[in-house]
Amino acid sequence: MVFLGLAGLAAAGARSQVISNSPRNSSFGKAVKTEAVQYLFPEQVSISAGKPSPVTLHFRVAQGLHINSHTPSDDFLIPTEFSIPDGMGVRLGAATYPPGTIISLAFDPTTKLSVYTGEFVIHARIVAEPGNHLVKASLHYQACDQNQCMPPRTIDVPIDVIGK
Amino acid sequence: MTRRSGLRDLPPPSYNKDMKSIPLRRNTVVLVAVLFILAIFAWAGWANWEYRRQAAEKLLANTAQGELVAVDGSGTLQFHSSLMGKPAPAFTLNDLGGRKVSLAAFRGKAVMINFWATWCGPCKVETPWLVELRQKYAAQGFEVLGVDTEGDDLEPSDKGGWAKAEANAGKFVTQMKVPYPVLLNGDSISRDFGGLDDLPASFFVDRSGKVVAASVGLTSESDIEGNIKKALAE
Repeated sequence: MVFLGLAGLAAAGARSQVISNSPRNSSFGKAVKTEAVQYLFPEQVSISAGKPSPVTLHFRVAQGLHINSHTPSDDFLIPTEFSIPDGMGVRLGAATYPPGTIISLAFDPTTKLSVYTGEFVIHARIVAEPGNHLVKASLHYQACDQNQCMPPRTIDVPIDVIGK
Repeated sequence: MTRRSGLRDLPPPSYNKDMKSIPLRRNTVVLVAVLFILAIFAWAGWANWEYRRQAAEKLLANTAQGELVAVDGSGTLQFHSSLMGKPAPAFTLNDLGGRKVSLAAFRGKAVMINFWATWCGPCKVETPWLVELRQKYAAQGFEVLGVDTEGDDLEPSDKGGWAKAEANAGKFVTQMKVPYPVLLNGDSISRDFGGLDDLPASFFVDRSGKVVAASVGLTSESDIEGNIKKALAE
């Protein structure tokens, strides 16, 4: 009877893994598109409540793609921007973005673009109320490769902020 | 002499068949239980695989229905849309002046439906080519419809965002001296054209309204001209 109970728990656990598996990473059939930018870490930060505290946020741009920096070279281009919505118990004091890498693309060698590629970090100063806050911050960006551009996207940046 | 009684004198233990079979029964139960657990794991693994397969298929079905294929034996990969050979999806959108423009109004002409955006660098590169080709082939009954697809993640209620998108489109059209109709809110029809995950994206429609060619991403002016000729020839 104990064995059967353990077996049932094992099956339930395996089945629940199915729910959490993202089909975006499936290797079936044709390639499925994934996000151009991925938030890496930190997942949790512990800071003094009520005081602006620094947090370093790590992101990665998918290989072969680039996103505009926070200060793109043209008014038409969509800048990369980090934000924290109101009502989360945490507010964004300031965000410092890295300088972009200047590139030009084969199809338009005369135009210079200020972009992020690979891994980049944003230094944020946040102020948290006392307590534990599950913050769903956002990163807004727009990505291209050598020949085409994807629409602007906003991804979630989930951070568990503990205000001590 | 009387022999002392000892252990040797104890009566022999009575033989019990049940006691010998108990370990055997227990081992069988354990073996069956282990096999059962392994079977459950195997089933869970199969169910996981099957679920992921179905989810991936569902996701693909909801995304752009296109793939790169080699055509005409040239080895060059071209975009093969699922709309090829089919009537182009009907639509009516507002132009920059607020007038309603329908694709149906261009029946009898060869049309290039060009989805673009102001934030799209490759779109900016190909726009002068479209202006030039439109001038070259207009007399033969060719037209370009520029469909601005600015705000993929703009909420419908974001009036400020949409107003800014429209202003940007107007500014772009003026700067690039675009002479053909430019329509707004391409996002509202993108799903009908396969999802438009990437820009620029163009669909070439013949005089009968059928899609005869499609392209995604920056190609070349000669490739675009080749597709225009296909649309005019049908």
